[in-house]
Parts: sequence; C-alpha cells; structure tokens
Amino acid sequence: MGRSQEQGQGQGPIHSIRLSTVGAARPTETGTTHEPTGLDLAMKLHYLKAAYIYSPETARDLTVRHMKDSMFMLFDQIAWTTGRFSRRDSGRPYIKCNDSGTRFVEGQCNLTVEEWLSQPDRSVDEFLVYHQPIGPELAISPLIYVQLTRFKCGGLGLGLSWANIIGDSFSLFYAFNFWTKAITGETIHAPPPSRGDRRFQSPNPTVKDPVSVKQVDPVGDLWVTPNNKKMATYCFNLSVADQISPHFPVNGINSIPVFEIIAGIIWKCVAKVRAEPEPVTVTIIKKDPNDLKPNNAIRNSQVISSVQVDFPVAEATVEELVRSMGEAKDERFGIEEIGGSCDGNLDFVVYGAKLTFVDLSGEDLYEARVMGKSPDSVYCNVEGVGEEGLVVVYAAAKSEERGVTVTLPEGEMEMVKLEFKKCGLIAP
Amino acid sequence: MSDISSSVKLKYVKLGYQYLVNHFLTLLLIPFIATVAIELLRMGSQEIFTVLYSLHFEVLHILCSSFLIIFVSTVYFMSKPRTVYLVDYSCYKPPVTCRVPFSSFMEHSRLILKDNPKSVEFQMRILERSGLGEETCLPPAIHYLPPAPTMEAARNEAQMVIFTAMEDLFKKTGLKPKDIDILIVNCSLFSPTPSLSAMIINKYKLRSNIKSYNLSGMGCSAGLISVDVARDLLQVHPNSNAVIISTEIITPNYYKGNERAMLLPNCLFRMGGAAVLLSNRRSDRWRAKYKLCHLVRTHQGADDKAYYCVMEEEDKEGNVGINLSKDLMTIAGEALKANITTIGPLVLPASEQLLFLSSLIGRKIFNPKWKPYIPDFKQAFEHFCIHAGGRAVIDELQKSLQLSGEHVEASRMTLHRFGNTSSSSLWYELSYIEAQGRMKRSDRVWQIAFGSGFKCNSAVWKCIRTIKTPTDGPWSDCIERYPVFIPEVVKL
Repeated sequence: MGRSQEQGQGQGPIHSIRLSTVGAARPTETGTTHEPTGLDLAMKLHYLKAAYIYSPETARDLTVRHMKDSMFMLFDQIAWTTGRFSRRDSGRPYIKCNDSGTRFVEGQCNLTVEEWLSQPDRSVDEFLVYHQPIGPELAISPLIYVQLTRFKCGGLGLGLSWANIIGDSFSLFYAFNFWTKAITGETIHAPPPSRGDRRFQSPNPTVKDPVSVKQVDPVGDLWVTPNNKKMATYCFNLSVADQISPHFPVNGINSIPVFEIIAGIIWKCVAKVRAEPEPVTVTIIKKDPNDLKPNNAIRNSQVISSVQVDFPVAEATVEELVRSMGEAKDERFGIEEIGGSCDGNLDFVVYGAKLTFVDLSGEDLYEARVMGKSPDSVYCNVEGVGEEGLVVVYAAAKSEERGVTVTLPEGEMEMVKLEFKKCGLIAP
Repeated sequence: MSDISSSVKLKYVKLGYQYLVNHFLTLLLIPFIATVAIELLRMGSQEIFTVLYSLHFEVLHILCSSFLIIFVSTVYFMSKPRTVYLVDYSCYKPPVTCRVPFSSFMEHSRLILKDNPKSVEFQMRILERSGLGEETCLPPAIHYLPPAPTMEAARNEAQMVIFTAMEDLFKKTGLKPKDIDILIVNCSLFSPTPSLSAMIINKYKLRSNIKSYNLSGMGCSAGLISVDVARDLLQVHPNSNAVIISTEIITPNYYKGNERAMLLPNCLFRMGGAAVLLSNRRSDRWRAKYKLCHLVRTHQGADDKAYYCVMEEEDKEGNVGINLSKDLMTIAGEALKANITTIGPLVLPASEQLLFLSSLIGRKIFNPKWKPYIPDFKQAFEHFCIHAGGRAVIDELQKSLQLSGEHVEASRMTLHRFGNTSSSSLWYELSYIEAQGRMKRSDRVWQIAFGSGFKCNSAVWKCIRTIKTPTDGPWSDCIERYPVFIPEVVKL
C-alpha cells in the first residue's frame, strides 16, 4: 500500500491537531537578511522530511512545554531559518530575518508505537510530518514545520518538514541532533555562526548545462512542483547480507558499495517498467566529503552529480551500473549558475528531474539520542519530487540494514514493486 | 544673545522667588533667633538666672506644665497615622520562550483574521506606532493558532506569574509565608472561584487568620487601589505586614472577534505581574526602600462619558472584548486634572501653590482668557512613573505636565520592553529607575495610574535609602541596552 503525496492536509490516523509557533529567544537585529545562493534557489520547490519515533520508555515523561523550550535553544543558533521569504524588486527571493518563528504541530495517535511500527509500508510515517508548501503568501509561510505526535502508549513521533532552500538533508540531521541534545539537557557548545562564504568547493567549474536540473513552468509564489502525474511513496527495509550482496560478486563483504548496488538494482527495475525511453541519465546526490561542518552548518552543500550511460539499462548488470556511477560528474557549479540566473525568477526541479538517488546512508540517524536512547525508527523522504522519481537510501535501526523510500508516479508504482519482488528486494 | 541672557535672568528670578516663598518661615525665624541669641550673650549667665528666678516658678506649676507637654505629645504621636513602608517588591520576568516578535504577532493575526484584511491592517498600524519592542511576552495559550484560552490555561498563567513573583519576593525580603498578615490580590479580568488570593493561600500554606482580599474588575489602576486598602488596614492593625500582588491574566481575555476598537487591547496588553511587601513595623524602617507619603484616588464614574469609555462587552458575533471609546484621551486628561487638583496642595512647594492660586484668582476676577498656570510638578518629585497604558497616554501626560524626556523615560522603556502589563507596570517602571542607578535617598516618586471607570489614582513615595546598582530584577539582563531610541513608526 503506497501513500499518495498530498499537500499537507489530511493527517489520517493523527487527530486533535493543534498548531502553535516557536522561534528564537533572542531578537534578531532589524533589517537582517539572508541571501540564498543559486544552488539554494534551484532547490526551492523541494522539502525534506524526516520522522523519528521514540519508544514510550524514552519519551513518556517529556512534556510539550519542554520540547518547545528546547526548540528555542536550537533556533537561537539558526535564527535566520525562522524568518520569512520576500522578494527584492528584481524578484529575487531572500529571507527577512524577522523572527516570525516556525510552526509547531501537536497531534495524538490512537495506536501504540509497536502497532505503528508493525505496518510493513513505512511510508505511513508521512502522517508524522506535517507539511505545507511555501506560499501563496510568502510573508506568512514558515520554512520549517515540526510535528510532535503522542502515541497511545506514551511514545513520541517527531517529524520535521524543512524547505530545501535553507539547507540539505545533512543540515536537517544536524539541526535535529542539536535539538535532541537540548531536550536531553546536555550543555551544547554551539560554534559561532560563520558569516563566511556559504558556497561549496566544486572540482568541476566548467560544467555547463547540467542535466540533473530541469526548468519547470513558473509557479509564482506557491512553491509546489508542478507535476502532471500524481506521485506515490513506498518505503521498505533491506538487509545487506540477504538482499544486496547476492547481486554483486563478493570481493570482501566490507567493501561493497551498498548504496550504489541498491541504486543499480532499482535503476534496472525502473528501466524494465519504463520501456521507452529508458532512464539513461540519473542523478546521484551524496554528502560532500570535503564539507567540514559545523561551520555554516545549515546550507546546501550536497554533491549533485549526473550519471550517463550509453547502453540499455534493463539488460545491463548491476556491476556495470555501479561502475558508471563511479564516473558521476559533479554538476553543482552549473546548477548554481542556472539557479541564480534571472534573479531567481525561474523555477527548477532537481529531485525527480531525472530519476534521482539520494545517499543518506553515511549519516548515523540513530545517534539522535533523547535521554540517552536512540529512536526506534527513522524515516526520510522528500516532498515535491519531479515525475522521474526519487529513491532515498538511509541507515536503518540495525547496521546491516538500510531504509529505502521510493517516490514514483502512481501508475508505475505497482509494476516497479513487482520488479522489486522479482529481484528479491521485497518479500513476495 | 539678549534672548539667552533674558532667559537666564528669568531663571534666577524664578529661583530667588522659590527660595523666598518655600523657606519663608525659616527666613522669618532667622532674624528672631539671631536677636534672642545676641540678647542672651549680652546678658551673661548671672542675669539669665536672675530673670528665671523672678518668674516665681513653683513646683506645682512646673509639674502641671510638664504633664501638659507630655499629654499633648502623647496625643499627637498616637493620632499620627502609622507610616507605611515599602520594604521591597519584585516584578515578574516572563520566560523568553513566551516572546512575541512583531512579525509573529502579525502572522498570527493574518492567519486568524484571514477574512478581515481591514482588521489586520488596523492591527498592523497600531503595532507599528505602539512603542512596544520585540521582547514583550504573551502567555503560552495565546501562541496557539487559534488561541486556546481554557480556564486551565488561565490558571496556569496565574500560577506561573504569581508564584514566581512571590518566590522572588520571599527571597529578597526573607519573608516567611506564615508571617504574612494581609494579602491583597488585584487582577481585573480573571476572577475564578476559589479566588486567586485563595490560590496563593493554598500554595504557600498561609495562616488561617490571614486577612485576604481579591480585587477584580477595577482596571489598570487597581494596583494603587490595593496599596490604598493595605494602607488603611495597616492603620488598624499594628505591627503588621501586607503583601500585594498586582497582575493581569491575559489568557482568557484575548479578543477573538474582528471589531477594530476591541482589537486594540490585543496589540498592547502583555504578560506581567508584581509582588509588593508593605509594613508598618518600626523594625522594618531600616531595611525598607520607600515610605508612602500620599495616595489620592479620584473617580470620574459619575460622568456618563467617563463611565462608558472603557467598556467590556460582546460584539455582534458574541465575542467578548474591551471597547475603547475615541474620547479616551480627553477623559484621561480630565481625570488627571481632578487628581492633580487634590494632590497638588499636598505635594507642591508653597511657591508653586501661590503662583497657581494667583493665576486662578486672576482668571476668575480679572481676565478669564489668561492661560491657566500649570504647576511645575518637577519641583515636587524627582521621578515619575506614568502607567504605560500606551504611547498616547505617555505623550499626553508628558505634554500636560510639561515633563522632559528623561522623566517619562521609565514609562516609555517599560512599554517597550514589557508592553502594557496593566496594574503592575508602575512597579516595572520603578524597577527601571532603580536599575539605572537614579534612585537616591529622599527622592520622591509619583506613580500615576488610569483605569476603567474612569479612575485616576496616584501615589507618592519617598525613598528612604539609596538603592545600589546593580539591582536584581526584570531589567538585570537588558538594562545596558536601555534607554533605546523608539522610532515614531516601526516599519513592519
């Protein structure tokens, strides 16, 4: 059972929803602004989502008041994310750092954590992440939504919906970890925010016309990806030993590139479903190995690279696909140029411009400990994906497993799932 | 040049006149004492004794005279009103997590009143010109969209504000809860059963024979009404102390409709509260900060216009809110005049009273067109605490009393940092003056408060020991930033 991506309404099994606002404790100086880079602007139609579920033993005694107070400590470090977008006379969006705050959503669920986690399609976690797009009125649209869901047993679901224009997934995880430390009451030595250049180091300054970004019809002030097809999401867990290794000749179990293999397998499955034209170009998004956080911790520094093959994918072996992924070309420079061109008045899609694979598996999501305990489950996805689809691979609770969230047009999803069953990725 | 020199000359003339009139009796007495002293010195001790013996004092005469003197002095001291000392006070500092920046307030306003853009526009214009800053606070229930003003939330706010202020007061003064003799709570718009005073008695396990009072519905001037009640009670009960809690609970009173005149309080009223310890014990005289000199209450309620100008009522949709009439400033001006007329003779030096009297007589007898003489209250007081009801109130009072910017600084800065905290704002202002290190021994403070009804109450305190800085209090973490420049209009 997949779940259609909806624009934030209908929280399904979550009821008694209450909205309030949290922000930064210290006032920001009047007139402070934050300028998005070209790369930021290219990502503006996308929203990153993460849902963390904590067991009742960990979370039973945590009050809403305490959670809100801890958020204030987080936002003191990144007060600019509590601002609102506005446009310059040229139309270029920028953030007015006016301390408007972020939306804090409280909800209740009639299931226990155990019952919730027993559902095989983990995309039910979408209900734990309240989401609204930016717009149609930029001045009153928060950039971040936080949802706190109380399960019947006392467990807690913490969902974060984060506009990609302010930072990448790695920034989101950094901010969330900061929050969990504040909740736990640890003294945090936050580095002073650096006002230096927020740009990334790119080894490929000559790439023009990046293929991983696609221009879309103008969306005006409502930042929603204009898709003709309705998208659906499906999420499952993989075991590396049982489901991944058999596809790859073993050269030493520790050195297999797990993400590339998963990407390769799924690429093949999708290619088989989409007979003509096959996706011969895909986008790979990974963490920048040269990026040293935490200075300028909240920004878009993920490596966006493009892989092109000239052979039919459906018939290729996984090894060939993995090898070609090794030759991916970093296109950030080109995207930066395009995103910033025309003063940010053009609208683009990166996730789903081509079939996109996001590698979050290097991040230890289960390090987000509250009161010393890791979450029981973590879910990651992106909202506003283009029609070519998205696959997000991230760490699961057990280190030899991975979580995979797939977003594809509704019409393709069932057939792709059939292919997954054939490959042994999911149980028949 | 001649303008400057003539104004300087005028200043010296004024000074000379003031010294002459205010110290008239002293000036008369000096030549008299001088004459007597010279006579005595001239006569020499032998002659003095001769004069005394010739008066033929008998033992009976001496005894009767001494008894008379002792009797008169006893009657005098017994009938003198007990001095009421303000030992110390503490103001509630809301947590930063309750902060309401302008943009957040406006965003909530736009989301809640999305069908009434004119009302949103109105609120924005009020906020821009309000004189409030970005650090004023609203209670947690009002941060919800839409606000969630349940009775439980209102009680929580009351507990948060009152208990924090009281605990701070206990710490500052070393007061033990069981030693409280009189407890007066004033909170205008939230009056649950059991009362807030009962809530305090329950929390701190106060004595069963405590004299507790709960004043509600009396508006922003209720703080001084509480002081008046405390003063009267302290005349009747010797060797007692009184704790006054002044606060306004915002949670249940957030207006949910869209009538413009009733949206105004939403923009200005903010969380706040104060706890004050008064005493009539002689032993507290050495540690008290102030003593109460005068307290004057004037009520304009007999006049219909004054009575109806601040009215709590339902709008067309049944939402309860406070309707402020357009004549508010005029009525406030008249209430102030009535109050000044009563307090003037009590506090003004003789020079000012004489000038005022002559101007009054002159206008009545000679020429009604003469400008009325406004007494210079700056000669009677060193500090002014004007209730921070709104920027317009402070501007109006500054103009009519001819006060300088520094005199109204405490009021303006309190409005900026804490908003309109209703009856407790006077205490935040006093705390500001202390935090700035301006309060010296024998300084006199005038607290003026306006309230629905329409009332104007004022209290005069005299500082009896110099307050050392740095003080602990609501201003301790931000006083270095003050005073700030508050622009006429803040662009949102």
